[in-house]
Amino acid sequence: MTYSSSLASNRSRYRVRNQNTIKYQTQTKVLGPVSNTIILLVLGCLLMLLYLSQVTKTNAFGYQINNLQKEQSSLQAEHDDLEVSSARLQSMNRAQTSTVAKGMVSVAPSATVRN
Amino acid sequence: MDLPNKNNYTQPVRRIRTLYGFLIILFIIFAVRLFYLQVIRYDYYKSEALNDQQKQYLIPATRGTISAKSGDTTMPLVLNQQLYLLFADPSYIKKPAELANKLTPIIGGDANKYESLMKTKNTRYVVLGKKLTKQQKIQIDKLKSPGLGIVEQNFRIYPQGTLAAQLLGFVDDEGNGKYGVEQYLNKALKGKDGRLKAITDANGVPLAASNSNIKKTPTNGDSVLLTIDLAMQQRLETILAEGVKNSKAPAASALIIDANSGAVRAMANYPTYDPAKYYEVEDGEVFNNATVAHPIEIGSSMKPLTTAAGLNAGAYRANTTYFDPASWTVNDFKITNIEEDGGAGNRSVSDILNLSLNTGATWELMQMGGGQINEKARNTWHDYMTKHFMFGRPTGIEQGYEATGVVPSPEDNGAGINLTYANTSFGQAMTATPIQLAAATASIVNGGKYYKPYLVESRTDINGKKHYTKTKQVKGDVVSSKVSDEMIPMLQNVVNNKNFAKKFDQNAYMVGGKTGTAQIAKPGGGYYEDRFNGTYAGFVGNEKPQFVIVVFVFRPTIGGYAGSAAALPIFGNLAHMLIDESYVNPKQN
Repeated sequence: MTYSSSLASNRSRYRVRNQNTIKYQTQTKVLGPVSNTIILLVLGCLLMLLYLSQVTKTNAFGYQINNLQKEQSSLQAEHDDLEVSSARLQSMNRAQTSTVAKGMVSVAPSATVRN
Repeated sequence: MDLPNKNNYTQPVRRIRTLYGFLIILFIIFAVRLFYLQVIRYDYYKSEALNDQQKQYLIPATRGTISAKSGDTTMPLVLNQQLYLLFADPSYIKKPAELANKLTPIIGGDANKYESLMKTKNTRYVVLGKKLTKQQKIQIDKLKSPGLGIVEQNFRIYPQGTLAAQLLGFVDDEGNGKYGVEQYLNKALKGKDGRLKAITDANGVPLAASNSNIKKTPTNGDSVLLTIDLAMQQRLETILAEGVKNSKAPAASALIIDANSGAVRAMANYPTYDPAKYYEVEDGEVFNNATVAHPIEIGSSMKPLTTAAGLNAGAYRANTTYFDPASWTVNDFKITNIEEDGGAGNRSVSDILNLSLNTGATWELMQMGGGQINEKARNTWHDYMTKHFMFGRPTGIEQGYEATGVVPSPEDNGAGINLTYANTSFGQAMTATPIQLAAATASIVNGGKYYKPYLVESRTDINGKKHYTKTKQVKGDVVSSKVSDEMIPMLQNVVNNKNFAKKFDQNAYMVGGKTGTAQIAKPGGGYYEDRFNGTYAGFVGNEKPQFVIVVFVFRPTIGGYAGSAAALPIFGNLAHMLIDESYVNPKQN
């Protein structure tokens, strides 16, 4: 038997004997309608704040994305510029008119060697 | 004590009730109105609101690049670059002369021209400069001049300059490919633009949190690798330009194709243009790639084809001889030998090519009809021209504005059809482009296979996957391999008997070909007596023909026969170039 169950059996014994007893009554506290409304409003506000903070955060990411996209475009443009410069430096015309090419002589075969 | 009159306190109650009644009616009116606005007209107001908040952006697709190989190295021919366009709003410019003087050192050009542009009346937009660099843009920004504006634009850049201009084509201001590969493959090169529909802030930056944003990513265009060899292309253009100068001709075309696949290795026309400055071209004709778009009467370059057709049809043999009277009368018109020497006498089939006998080609046509030009001869020859050599139809090469040329119908039209057909046997009264002649000539020296000529080796899509062009054999029995083997020495013999500035070593290489001189037709009928086009169709190889070269020189004024005087030297130089620069190696056996 537990301690609480032994107390309960003692109390019932005293009642049977009609002795003075202490009445134990559980008193529950219930919130009123005004308190409930206020709590609901506060919770609603908190949810709204949470939503707003998330939206703001997401939009901030939007700006970050926008900046990164701009940077990407700029780098792409720079890459294109370099690619064009590189291609121009290697162009056939440039190679043909280069000082190295001008110093070259024709290697047209003067005879044919057969295996 | 007086009791309050019952009416004294019922009066305010009634008033309050009336007020309540009004309030309720007002509330109902608001509720009904709100219901109408928010429920019934929901879609309309939503779209109105989104129109204000939502912006739509086009995300342009990047146009595919075009490259070609030089040996084993792939080099770009067409690239994209972001450059800037400078414009002015004349209504904001107070001192045009001063501003023009400030602009000239930055963007070059003529200050007076800029000044007059900035003084233009009744317009808010004049273009002052195109294709400005980033450095130029920065310098113009520093002027802080109201009325000047700069916009970014993507431009096609040609690092090789004018090289292969006409086969490439160009891209116009609307972003559409014009002429050449750019036109033919416009859809594949262009790709598909993307779009972004998004709610934006005041600066136009899309808000990421909006769930109604729509983003469609652009699909960039395919990159194209051409079959041409850049070094060979460069040499061909140089040789062609020299040839035009030497023959005092206004224009010429030449091309080199792989005889055993149809792949075009070099292709050019003279005069040409700078595709980066296509808008400065005054004569639109120069945009045309004449090697595929300008059919002419090909003259005696047709004779090897006529000879091959007759041999293949069994009309005569390679060693057949006949008596050539030096003229034939067909439909009361006398056919003679206007080119080279060709008097009456016993002739062989080889002589027909060697001496370029019109009467010989006519004799070959007659043999196809059993000894005379008749319906059978016409039908047989028409069948060879259109279904074996594929004249009169586009080759399908990846070029804009490809011409088909003309092959006359064999039906008797009562207007001297036999004479017309006799003319076609030596390349008159019909027209063909250099690419058609090249593919046809290749087919009679490569064993009898007609390959579709092509310029695109591969296309690389946005995912990096390469799509190679497969060699397409259109016809496998243009002529038999026996006839093809007989044609090669006959054409080598023609080369051996011609006066090339530098002879060919036929023991080490295989070089053959045939000239053509064609009278130019008058627009109203008949031919000019003193105007000719010169053509040449030939091949270079070692154990077997590797490359076919075709040269057209339009109206040379150097004197002599146009084919021999103008086209032949260009062919000779091109053939030597292929040998000297090791595109063709000597025979091994």
